[in-house]
Order: sequence, then C-alpha cells, then structure tokens
Amino acid sequence: MFKKGSLILLAILLVLSIVACDSKSSTDGGSSTGEKKVKISYLTHWAAPQVEQLKSAIKEYNKIEPNVEIEVRAVPFGNLLTTLTTQSTGSGAPTITSIYELWLPQLVNDKIAAPIPAELESEVQSNYPEGIINAITINGKVYGFPNEVNLYALNYNERLFKEAGIAAPPKTWDELVDAAKKLTKKDASGKITQQGFGIITSWNSGVVHPWLSLLYSNGGELLGSDHMPVLDSKEVKETTELYQKLIFDEKTTDPSMSIANASTTGPYLDNFANGKTAMIIMANWWQSALEDSMGDKFADIKTAPIPVGPSGSGSHSVSYSWLTSVNAKADQSQQEAAWKFLKWLNSGESGENGSSAMGDMLMGMGIMPSRNSDIEAHNTDLNSPFLKPYVDELKNAKSFPIVLGGNELTTTLQQQLEQMEFGQTSQNDTLENAQKSLKDLMSQFYK
Amino acid sequence: MLKPRTLAAVGFLTPGVGLLSVFIIFPIILTAWVSLNHWSMMTPISEMNFVGFENYTKIFDQDTFKKALANTFVYSIANLAMMLPLSLLLGLLLYQAALKGKTIVRTLLFLPYIIPSVAVAIVWGYLYSPMYGPFNEILAFFHLPTQEWLGSFDQAMMSLVILNVWQTLGYYVVIVLAGLTEISQDYYEAAAIDGANSLQRLFYITLPLLKRSLSFIVVIMTINTLQVFDPIYVLTQGGPANSTTVVSYHMYDTAFNFGNAGQASAMAFILYLVVLFFTILQLRLFKTDY
Repeated sequence: MFKKGSLILLAILLVLSIVACDSKSSTDGGSSTGEKKVKISYLTHWAAPQVEQLKSAIKEYNKIEPNVEIEVRAVPFGNLLTTLTTQSTGSGAPTITSIYELWLPQLVNDKIAAPIPAELESEVQSNYPEGIINAITINGKVYGFPNEVNLYALNYNERLFKEAGIAAPPKTWDELVDAAKKLTKKDASGKITQQGFGIITSWNSGVVHPWLSLLYSNGGELLGSDHMPVLDSKEVKETTELYQKLIFDEKTTDPSMSIANASTTGPYLDNFANGKTAMIIMANWWQSALEDSMGDKFADIKTAPIPVGPSGSGSHSVSYSWLTSVNAKADQSQQEAAWKFLKWLNSGESGENGSSAMGDMLMGMGIMPSRNSDIEAHNTDLNSPFLKPYVDELKNAKSFPIVLGGNELTTTLQQQLEQMEFGQTSQNDTLENAQKSLKDLMSQFYK
Repeated sequence: MLKPRTLAAVGFLTPGVGLLSVFIIFPIILTAWVSLNHWSMMTPISEMNFVGFENYTKIFDQDTFKKALANTFVYSIANLAMMLPLSLLLGLLLYQAALKGKTIVRTLLFLPYIIPSVAVAIVWGYLYSPMYGPFNEILAFFHLPTQEWLGSFDQAMMSLVILNVWQTLGYYVVIVLAGLTEISQDYYEAAAIDGANSLQRLFYITLPLLKRSLSFIVVIMTINTLQVFDPIYVLTQGGPANSTTVVSYHMYDTAFNFGNAGQASAMAFILYLVVLFFTILQLRLFKTDY
C-alpha cells in the first residue's frame, strides 16, 4: 500500500543506512595476488548494441590479458548519476565509469575520480584536442580518457523548407524568425499544427544547451571568470527576446510540443521526426534516435551552424564531452587493471582500420569520438550530410562551464527559462530570478 | 533475575521490535540527523559537516521547494475530491444485489491497481500524446477541441490526477464494498418498517456506518498521494515549468542528481511530518464511537 513516494523515501533512508554501515568498505574484493584474476566493473549508459560491442572488445582484451575479469553494467542515461551517487563508495562500486564532464568537479571534490597515472598522461595529451583535455583537467591533473564529444547545431527538415520556398538554412536570428514564420502552419482555430522552430522542455540540458548556443552565438556568456552568473547583459536579454518573439509574438513555436520524457525522448523528438517541427537546435548524438524514428525520411534532415545574433560575431554552439574515469576508491590492483584496459580500449590496437574500439562504439551510435586518430579513421562517416556541419563547427564551439554544482546550475536555469517559455514570468523577471538563483547557488561553491 | 513470563515477552517481542528498529526507527532518526548536516552521498557519512537547521532554512528559501509543496497538496486534494465520491458511488452501485455482471465490473475496476505504476505511466504517456494520442483522436472525431494534456502548464497536473484516479479507484471501491458488507441488514429492515425511503436509508444508515471505511480511504489516499513520484518521474520530470514538481521528485533530484543529501533529508523529514500531521488529524476527525 505504501508505495510510490515511499519508495523514494525508503531508497534515501536505506542508502543512508547502507552508507553509514559501509563507509569503511570502498573497494570490491578482487585481488591480483598470484594467479588470481582481478575483477573490475565498467558502468555505462550505452544502449544494448554498444554494450555488446564493449563485451566483444573485452573478450578480445582477455586474449592478451586473461587475468582480468571485466563486468559490464549498463543503466539508462537518466539513471547513470543516480547509480554513481548510490554505489560509488560501496563495496560493489563500479571501477570504470562513463561520466559527463559536468559531473567531474564534484567527483574530484568527493575523491571518487582518480587522476590518470603519470605514465598515461602523455598518451592523452598527445592524442586528443587541447580543448577536450582542458575540460577534464582539474588543478593540473587529467581525470580519465576523453571519449565522446557533442555539440549543438540547427537541425532542419529540408523537405519542409522546399515546400515553404526557403532555399537555405537561416544564418542570422532575423532569418531564423523569418523562416520560422514561413514554416509554421495553423488550423482554423489558430492552433499550431506545424511549428517553424521547436524548443525542448522538461529536460535540463535540452532546455539550457540550445538557449546557451544562441547566447554564445550572440556574444554572451553564462558565467563570468569568477564563476558568478552574468545574466544581466544585453546579449542575454536579446536571447530571451528571441524566444519571446518566436513563442508569443510570431507564434511559430508551441511549447506544448516540446516535452521530453525521462529517457530524453518524447513529443519533442516525435514532432521533429514526423515533420511537425521544421527546425530545432539539438546535439549530434540524436542521429541514431532520428534514424530509428524516421527510416528513409532521415535523408530530409540537414544540419546548419547556429544562427548568429545581432550582437554576435560568429556561430558558437555549446559543446560538451564525456570521459571514462576510474574510481579512486577501488584498490590499487583494480585501478591498475582499469587504466591498462582503458589504454588498450582507446588505442588503435583495439579497433578496426586504425580506429580504437572506443571510436568504433561511439560511431555506432552516431556520436563523434574525440581522439584525433578516431576522427581520421571514421572520416567517411563523419562527412555525412548530417554530421559534417557538426564536425566543422567543433572548432568554434564553446564548452559548457565546468563548475561545482554544474548539474544543479543547469536544472535551476532550466526551471527559470521554462517559466518564461510557458508564459508564467516576463523576460525581465526570468532573467532577474535566474541571476539571483544562480548567484545563490554558485556562492555556495565559490567565494 | 527476570521472571520466565518477562523473558518470554522479551523473546517474542525482540524479532519484531528489532526489525522495526532497523528498518523504520533507525532510518528515521538517521534522516533527521543527516538533515542537520551538509553531506554529499558520494563521501563517507563520517565526513558530514554539522550545519544545524541551515538545510531547513535553505529549502524554505527555494521557490522550487515551496512550489513542490503546494503542488503536492493540490495533487492530494484533487485526488481526494475526485476519488472519494466516485469510489462511494461505484461501491454503492456494485453492492446492489440485482446488478448483473457486477463481478466483471469489480475485476475490471481493480485490474489497473495491480499493474506497476511505471508501466501505467508509460502507456498513459502515449494516450496523452498531443499530436497522435488516442484521447485527442477521440476528441477530434467528435469535433471537440484537442487538448495539450501533459504539454500544458495548466493541464499537466490534472492529467496526472486523472491517471491516478484510473489506476487506484478500484482499490478504494473494494474498501467501500467491504464496509457495506459489514452493515447488518437488520438496520435496513427496521428502517423499511418505519417507512424510511432510500435516500433516508443512505444518509441515516449507510453513510454513518461507512464512516470507518471512508476514514480509512481518506487516510490511505492522503498518505499515498502526498508521496506521489512514479508518473512525475516517467512523464513530466516536474515540468512544464515546475507545474508538476512535487516534494518526492524534488527530493530525488536534490539527493541523487545534485548530491545534496542534507537538503534532501530535510525535505524527506518535512514530508514525513506533513504526512504524520494529516494522518493524525484525519484519524481524530473521523474518530468513531462504535
């Protein structure tokens, strides 16, 4: 009878109890003494096909390194941080984990993420772009092997563009509004049946990253050099005015078509895949989701740089990367085995045609790898009409601020922006509230 | 030296009290203690920092928590307002001896209750889909305006309430039916001899004698709805624009996504006190003398 919320209450209570009882025990029982196998685990958010690829790679690795047993644990993206939070200090803690770079400062602060051993640091420094390495470097230490890199761009449906007589994707905000007007269709009651420009709601990154890509392309910033928000700038005001224009003035965007569910899919994806949304700002990783939903019609989907705002000097989208880290609480033999495996997994020895196995797995999901040799090895696939503009824009992309409390910062900003998108607060109130909330939050971590 | 009778009592009580202490009392005390500390769940509990009531003042400074608390009450009251009369009406209807097929109706009503909440939420996500959902298809077929359901700031919460009513109504109808079977037919026969009509029998016999069942329904429904989580996690993530954020969901976000176990525990403790307060209040209000 006492279900639903009580499960959450009970989960928190039990986790507290378990952690309380288990605070001394932080590694699993694997040992590498003598001929004994070292047991390690790999926690990932990948889908089943990539998990199978990872298992195949482990089989290959076991041919050259038979004394390591690697267990793969897969959870949905939405549960990855939760799993890490609840398991990171327990006896069954994962040894290797895929993590979003935004979580790294907290994991380093909590001594969960181990810095890469000195002998492997040059391996990372010489094989990955500098910007990617900087994003996973804290206090001069690199905290793992970078893997995927994602950035945002304007995705548009070329068929709908042709039907509306639009020859090319918009390059500026004025062109964006103009195209959105031409692409919007309404029924007799004025209800939008096809929206010119789509937004995403109910998912923090889905709300914040496209908005921030537009802000970056208008010359603005989210945080200053002191880690405090700078949402009182002219550039930020212009960005929210663009949303105001698209949603309320020109009525080319319908927030009710924007909802995302717990799996970061849902109506916003369905509407774009079914030709009910003509343009949307999204990251390259959703290629496989679009291909699955659209089949042959995926060929209609094209990519263009983020349109530039009136105060901007060029297109600058938000980029973020993921890395594979090793649990600092694992015992020494496990950490050594984990780093050795990761070195192999990310090297040209493990994959096909000069790519690493990691590069092959990421490309299997339509995700850009960050290792230079992987990008070269997958050059043909990365030159597809959908992905090429993303690859080209990587050099202009700006990283999402990597700060303590980054996840809470994203959610707090999401909540404020959604208030504006659903007409619950004015632009000015939205920005004032967001500035205050983010300042309060950042003040907890940075003085 | 303990007497054998005392020893036996201790022996029989120890397993029950022990389990209760480990799984109920200790976690409650621990939650209360954590709520007075600053603690990331990724660090050992020994590294907690005592901050007194700071977590409580901080959560009451948050607009999101206040909104979540208000939404939780709205959800609970809306469920009570819809489900209590509905379960009573359906219970009375299904209790009629002359009604054919009532066993099938009872089974159908109870069926959604045994389906896992997450599965129900996923199915209702498709039913509510604004573009292709069956609900809007039906409305469009009858030339009625289609609705935005979960995509609307104003409709999302009510959509979740309807989902819960559909899923749990059968359970409360069963409780009403159980209450009705406990009422002796002698009262109705005596009333019939006195010339009471059916409405008088309902208001002067049935409802007063159903008070215990109805109070049980109110208490259990309040407890369950104040702790709603599954449909919000699966379908709305608290959106649009915080219109469906409830305390349990905000607590989950704070603990597991923001790593702030201290504030999450403060929220858990507030929710615990709220549930406790309403349960005691309702039990006192519905207290029966028989």
